[in-house]
Amino acid sequence: MTAPVAAFRGVSKSYGKVRAVNGLDLTLHPGETVALLGPNGAGKSSSLDLLLGLREPDQGEVTLFGGSPRAAIQAGRVGAMLQSGGLMTDVTVAELVRLACAVHPRAHRPEQVLKDAGIEEIAGRRVDKLSGGQEQRVRFALAVAGDHELIVLDEPTTGMDVSVRQQFWAAMRRQAEQGRTVLFATHYLEEADSIADRVLVLHRGRLIADGSSADIKARAGARRISFELHAADGHVEEGALRALPGLAALELSGSAHGVRTVRIRAADADAVVAGLYRAGCYPRGLEVTSLGLEQAFLTITEAAEATEQSLEDAR
Amino acid sequence: MRTLVKLEILRTLRNKRYAFFTVLYPALLYFFFININHSMPDGLDAKTYFMVSMATFGAVGAVLTGSAQRISLERKSGWTRQLRLTALPGRAYATAKICASAVTTLPSILVLFALGAAEGVQLDAGQWLGLVLVLWAGSFVFAALGVALGYAAEPNAVQPIVMIIYMVLSVLGGTWYPITGGLKSIARFDPVYLYNRLAVFVHPGASFDTAAAAGLAGFLAVFVAAAAFLYRRDTQQA
Repeated sequence: MTAPVAAFRGVSKSYGKVRAVNGLDLTLHPGETVALLGPNGAGKSSSLDLLLGLREPDQGEVTLFGGSPRAAIQAGRVGAMLQSGGLMTDVTVAELVRLACAVHPRAHRPEQVLKDAGIEEIAGRRVDKLSGGQEQRVRFALAVAGDHELIVLDEPTTGMDVSVRQQFWAAMRRQAEQGRTVLFATHYLEEADSIADRVLVLHRGRLIADGSSADIKARAGARRISFELHAADGHVEEGALRALPGLAALELSGSAHGVRTVRIRAADADAVVAGLYRAGCYPRGLEVTSLGLEQAFLTITEAAEATEQSLEDAR
Repeated sequence: MRTLVKLEILRTLRNKRYAFFTVLYPALLYFFFININHSMPDGLDAKTYFMVSMATFGAVGAVLTGSAQRISLERKSGWTRQLRLTALPGRAYATAKICASAVTTLPSILVLFALGAAEGVQLDAGQWLGLVLVLWAGSFVFAALGVALGYAAEPNAVQPIVMIIYMVLSVLGGTWYPITGGLKSIARFDPVYLYNRLAVFVHPGASFDTAAAAGLAGFLAVFVAAAAFLYRRDTQQA
């Protein structure tokens, strides 16, 4: 068992009355590429701030490579690209990259960093004259200026157009292939789906899901099954449908001209369909579709929302 | 750290506003003041007096507008956060700002002295050198004030705050006219006045104003303490 790259132990952080991070327990292992998902205000940026030691937790403990975040940063083990990370103005891109390399204990050569980040052609440009997407790539360059073991990225592709975004992820994959641990927060679920080995879902400062993208989809009820039941084929009790194995959610429309529409979400679609026939149903227009990570994400966060609501109502 | 200091100096010198406010503007004012009829008290020589007061005006302007506004903007933009994610020690940023300020005050002092010399101000070599040194050393007081203000206010508030402070201190500090009579009792508490007083040793029959130097040292201590406190508050918030 290798030592963890990062660990949160019972970490909480409040701003005034708002609990941004609520009892977070989390361990990152070497070599993982981890996506951090969550709706706006879920605590993603706050968690990253705590991870990087930019803020102190109210409760609990955050460690990086077994020590304090600050010690890990000083040792040049962590590179980060923050949403709120500004850039120095009145200097050129190359000058800024050279600065990042000069202050890093295990720096790469500035020329190499410019190349890795795909910003060679704008190296001579003034930082204050860059577009949003170009600025993001300069921030990325600062995050990969040295031989980091962990790279933290907060919504790195915001402001990038599609082709630049693809180039960016190609650069990111090269970093991961060199054995670096990568943690990134994102709004784009297809990025998490195609790049991350592990997906974390935050909701109101709590970790509500942690697993591979396939795990998350399975947890949300990864497949959608829809069909029609016609009265002419015989009556089916709603209870019989609810009793189907592996069911995550069921939606049954009212009868219109003797036709009822059934929509089911299930972790095991095969079992549901087999169960349907076994129960003597005759599903018409049967469709089984897979749920994307995006829908899985919405399902999980909605469920968490509903649970919290019922807890609040109970109080 | 050296790279950061070098880059800070470079970018300040590159900035066009800097060149205008800290070199060109005081230089123009200098010609204006020495060509209108000032009744100079105590047998002061207008060309010498305004050479000093415009040099200090430019130097104070350089550090106040330069560091205060930049620090405030860079806190807002998140550059200071980005720097905290590097191996640089926390104090590196403020140290680099003060170093850059110190270097950027020199052009306004040297340009005004060159103009003064061209206009016929005559001092011996020791006096010229001493004058450059005391004015340069005195500018650190305002560099510290600039850092404190930069951490005290948001970018859109910091500009008017700096302008007001700069103007009030200048009016009471003898920048535009020598301070005489009752006004002196107020001016004693103005760091710009004390700063200008550092130069009195070049006037005939005057010696170095140690009281002014002590006063400035006091202001320096206060501004450094304020800057350190505000800096610490800022890192806890961001």
